[in-house]
Amino acid sequence: MTTPAEGKRSISVPATVDELAKVRAFVRDSVSRFGGSKRVADDLAHAVDEATCNVMLHGYRGKAGDVEIEAAVRDRRIEIRILDRGPIFDPTTAQVPAPGAIPAPTRPGGMGVGIQLLRTLTDEVHHSARPDGGNELTLVRSIDGRREED
Amino acid sequence: MAMTIDVERLGGTTPVTVIALAGELDASNYEQVIDVARNAYADGSRGLVLDLEHLTFMASSGLFALHSAVRIMRGETPPDAEEGWGALHQMAQDHDAQASSVRLAAAQEPIARVLERTGMLRLFALDGTRAEAVAALQGA
Repeated sequence: MTTPAEGKRSISVPATVDELAKVRAFVRDSVSRFGGSKRVADDLAHAVDEATCNVMLHGYRGKAGDVEIEAAVRDRRIEIRILDRGPIFDPTTAQVPAPGAIPAPTRPGGMGVGIQLLRTLTDEVHHSARPDGGNELTLVRSIDGRREED
Repeated sequence: MAMTIDVERLGGTTPVTVIALAGELDASNYEQVIDVARNAYADGSRGLVLDLEHLTFMASSGLFALHSAVRIMRGETPPDAEEGWGALHQMAQDHDAQASSVRLAAAQEPIARVLERTGMLRLFALDGTRAEAVAALQGA
């Protein structure tokens, strides 16, 4: 049986990069409420920033729309869901440079270093297409687990 | 949190511009950093110090801005979005971070971690303080 998610909270912001600071603040606040460390908050806020920025610039491409961010905790793992109505894009299968290679920083929303960071800052990334259109991207990070490089 | 940029131009045999960034560097403001670097080069500066002491967040767009600053101080056109991985690989290979005309100073731990993790420290020297970075560029 699946453990129910606890402490679920969410925000919705217009798809413009001026809203990214608000999104990061929401993630930091959520991680803190869930009992996560500053390190986990830093990493998740950064991962969500890269993923959300990608949706805003690549997905919506300047068109009006909203991005919804949900945060919850389940089995001491923080789950952040990013929901949009943009074209289908799966960052879990996008090509990025091999680990150790120097990624070329591309313009925000460009492929590359942002997606690479998104993967290295989280434990798991899952993508699915929403039945009624758009993307659902789930980022998972353990509250307790320390990462290899710590 | 917004970002503020404080620019100070120093004279000397190698004119150096110090750009102090405070707050959060992300996709909404990274172009301001590129503009400041471009103006510094146009005004004759041949060394750039990015003082990161009060910067609390840097997204990949910020890394793009730093990369652009290196290109600008080399008198080159800043990288284009369409330019692939190859160009930077080449640049990293023939680039000596210690000899770079762009130095980063006083990065906080989360920022230093992002720089490290993305291999950017192969492009930049990271100094403990702004004064050390300026001294390194002016050959003091």
